[in-house]
Amino acid sequence: MELLALAWKNLWRNRRRTLITLAALSLSLMLIEAAHNLSFGVYRTMIDSGVRAGSGHLTIYRQGYLAARDEKLSFDPDSLADTITGFDGVAAVLPRLYLPALAQSSRESRGVLLTGIDPRVERRINPFLKKLPDAQMLTSLNGREAILGSRLLKELQLKPGNKFVVTLQHRSGDLVSEMFRVHGVVETGIKNVDSTLLLVGRERAAALAGIGHEIHELAIILNNPDAEATVYPRLQALISQFPGLEAVSWERAMPNLFNAIRLDYASQKFIFVIMLLIVTIGVVNTLLMSVMERFHEFGIILAVGASAMRLRTLVLFEALLLGVISMLFGSILGSLATWYLQDVGIDMRSFIDQSLEFGGVVFDPVLRAQWDLTWMFQVAVYLLFLTLGAALYPAIKAGRINPVDAMRHH
Amino acid sequence: MLTRLALRNIWRNRRRTLLTLSAMVVSSALLILALGVFSGMLRDMLASATEQYYGHLVISAKGYQDDRDMYRSYTPEAVEKVLQRKETITGYSLRLRGFGLLSFARNSAPAELLGVIPALEEQVTSLQNHLVTGSYLATDSSAGAVLGVGLARRLGVRPGDELVFVTQAADGSIGNDLLTVSGVFATGDYGHDNSLVLVPLGWLQRVMVLPGQIHETALHIDDPLAAAAGAAQLRPLLPAGLEILTWGDLLPEMREVVASYNVSRLIVVTILYLATGLGILNTFFMSVMERTREFGVLLAIGMRPGQIRLLIFLETFFMGLFGLAFGILGGVGLSLYMARVGIDLSGTLTPITYAGGTILPRLGAVLEWSNVLIPASCLLAVSLLAGFLPANRAARMQPVDAIREE
Amino acid sequence: MVTLSRLLLVVLFFFSAVAVPALAEQPDLRQLIQQVERQYTGESSIATVEMTVETGHWERHLTMELWSLGRERFLVRIVAPAKEKGVATLKVDNEVWNYLPKVDRVIRVPPSMMGGAWMGSHITNDDLVKANKIDEDYDFRLLEQNAASWVIEALPKPTAAVIWGKIIYQLNPETLVPERIDYFDEEDLLVRQIVFADVQLVNGRWVPLRMTVLPVEKPAEKTVLQYRRLQFNVGLEKSFFSLGRLKERR
Repeated sequence: MELLALAWKNLWRNRRRTLITLAALSLSLMLIEAAHNLSFGVYRTMIDSGVRAGSGHLTIYRQGYLAARDEKLSFDPDSLADTITGFDGVAAVLPRLYLPALAQSSRESRGVLLTGIDPRVERRINPFLKKLPDAQMLTSLNGREAILGSRLLKELQLKPGNKFVVTLQHRSGDLVSEMFRVHGVVETGIKNVDSTLLLVGRERAAALAGIGHEIHELAIILNNPDAEATVYPRLQALISQFPGLEAVSWERAMPNLFNAIRLDYASQKFIFVIMLLIVTIGVVNTLLMSVMERFHEFGIILAVGASAMRLRTLVLFEALLLGVISMLFGSILGSLATWYLQDVGIDMRSFIDQSLEFGGVVFDPVLRAQWDLTWMFQVAVYLLFLTLGAALYPAIKAGRINPVDAMRHH
Repeated sequence: MLTRLALRNIWRNRRRTLLTLSAMVVSSALLILALGVFSGMLRDMLASATEQYYGHLVISAKGYQDDRDMYRSYTPEAVEKVLQRKETITGYSLRLRGFGLLSFARNSAPAELLGVIPALEEQVTSLQNHLVTGSYLATDSSAGAVLGVGLARRLGVRPGDELVFVTQAADGSIGNDLLTVSGVFATGDYGHDNSLVLVPLGWLQRVMVLPGQIHETALHIDDPLAAAAGAAQLRPLLPAGLEILTWGDLLPEMREVVASYNVSRLIVVTILYLATGLGILNTFFMSVMERTREFGVLLAIGMRPGQIRLLIFLETFFMGLFGLAFGILGGVGLSLYMARVGIDLSGTLTPITYAGGTILPRLGAVLEWSNVLIPASCLLAVSLLAGFLPANRAARMQPVDAIREE
Repeated sequence: MVTLSRLLLVVLFFFSAVAVPALAEQPDLRQLIQQVERQYTGESSIATVEMTVETGHWERHLTMELWSLGRERFLVRIVAPAKEKGVATLKVDNEVWNYLPKVDRVIRVPPSMMGGAWMGSHITNDDLVKANKIDEDYDFRLLEQNAASWVIEALPKPTAAVIWGKIIYQLNPETLVPERIDYFDEEDLLVRQIVFADVQLVNGRWVPLRMTVLPVEKPAEKTVLQYRRLQFNVGLEKSFFSLGRLKERR
């Protein structure tokens, strides 16, 4: 304890050096924490919007549907949706059905994917509908209102309010048709979506296809992606009572999104390793320098009768104090930076020329950070150990020096 | 005189010098590597967007890319004459496109046929590198076909099988003929793998009854990021009725991906620079600051403040230069290693289709001089500043105070 | 493909109707229109048709032979020009095959493809699927009735799955065959016109042997069908409509 106090006093004897070292350590910690939280936030957002536009964090399918996308593989969600909505951590359950169909106006026709949805839930979740005015949203499960992609609308030469006819294959094999009216228009900025998207109430679509109340996909959106760990097993248990159904995680249901994020994440990790290495060398060097410059001083301490062990402990204690202070201070700065990046974020639009219209759905133009406390703690502890490790070599060496040589050293 | 003193000072305190240098060498090398990896990812992304299908620039009749109307065709001679004069164009491919029904045994599927001259097409797209079975198109005259893996599976064909292609030809007649499957490609792009077929240009011109006609000329240029400038250069030289589009016009989503990637790269690179700069700043700053006493002595024996500043400037300059020399060597070495070997992630990841392109699961690097020179000069400036500040302070002090300073 | 399916469509169109019985004084409009829409159908039939299709890019003339049995089976074979002679299409229930003599292959057309291609032609899927249901999907009103013609307006029921906003039939009061049918979109713009001519007595009923389809917004385009020979109730067997028959070259 007495040594610790001495170490503390020692630190402030050369205030300038200590402050520089502290600044280096805490600023490094801040940078790396803020950078990580930013990219963590961006990934979360990417996964979140990908999952919301796609098939959810978890999805229930008839077995085989995922691979074949065969519209015959539908199932009755019955009480499932309600049961799952009651699970802890589940934000929403989206029943959907997908039917390849032909859309026809008086002038043109196009192949589309008729998607039957539950408008009330979908409105809350689906990022494609984010920009859609309330007045353009579907109002019922079995109405004749439809939401079309902007490109599809143009190609069919339709205007809002116009009718068009959807023809598809009934479960019996016959061709059946139904009239719908353009109620809403969605522009996602994704060509493929804008030219094929056709959303209608799911009961109308199911009735048209002759599959009663059945659906193809039950997309489950979680409040927090981490809830998957608890919800998935419960879901599995529930599904096991329904032979022929399977529950799939988004990683399996949307391999493309998963892999894109993983690839991006791998490269980010690589860059983070580099960043950590750069910070490490900076920290180690600053510390080594600050300790080694003091061999003269150590010589005096040894000469006045301190044991080598005591000197070593002193050096390590100083490093420990430096580490703890910069750990705290750096984390505070890192938290402030994270808080700013979460609240305000970085608006990419200010970097890119204005003519570029961002999809707004897949790419959120504002990058925002999210807290990853575990990681922040880990990297702070890493910094502490780094500080101690960097002091270890000079500490050992300091105990070994010959007082006379050391005092001459310089 | 001062130069010699500076060099001797550097040599005299070897431990300090080595510490300072190691910071410089390691951080600059890592920074150069990181920048190289970023450039590599951008290149892969661009290549994925362009080298599978469109190329970097496409010349076609006005409006063709929008409606793919088969009658918007042209004869390539005038365009070819223009292209052959430009040396920035590293390749071009003449293409005719036809939509129709492809069938084998009881199976049939709609398909997009791209009539190409194989030797030219290879300069623009890299489908020949994505074959899973069979071989690429051989010559212009034969009726071979290279098709996507999904389409091949749907039709149930293998190399050597005979396909029938039926379409409505340009004269309204029912165009139909046989094709022999020569190869199957897998790009990872759902659309291409499930509908695209490469066939000889001459064959398709015959079946479509469009003799001598093409729909587009796809170009490959030196620098895909300069596609817009390249297009602007070529535009006035083109025959009337034709337009030139860049990959960004054809794949607007890809342009957004690249733009947003550039922003996030900017952010990360800024942080990297800050971290590197901070480390170097500290090391240099401390190494000079610790010598305040020494400067006091120098001042006391009559050295002028200006000389001290110059001395430190020279010292840090030489050290910076020396450190950077090794740093660049290391950075270039690491980048080259990453460029050649890379980190292959295909064990855990499959190819990713993204905004019209496919990204292979691999981390590589590209060596660009801007990725070396810019960080090198930045870091040198940082170290000079870091050395100058304490030296300036010491030079302004009274010798006695400086000597007394701990 | 467009041509093949166009051809197929025409065929279905022609055989998707029933004979017109004699007319009462005060016409039942619903029944009348039903009769018009079914004017070409017989229990079975054999026909020779010349088809001319004009677009801005090409013009072509085809001569085809048609056989049909109800609405479920038909066979059509091109007999001229020489380049396409022998090209044939067979439809049995939901399946469609094409025969291509040049490569000597039979190709099964996937339903998705049939659907897609029909749409590009001057005659739409609706004519095929809806012709029989026209009386269910529309409400009729007599706009004009004079010695020269009867004009009947058909307005779709609010929820009917039809693409048109309005159809106007112009009938000849004596023969009760249509002279012209106009198709409008919801904004009352004329989109398509079918003009009939060359009315002849076939097996005891009046049939217009010439039919011209005009996509109004593409003035350069039209499809003309001219019946050279038409016989109803010829007693064809189901077994006639076979893949073997499809490949027969004559």
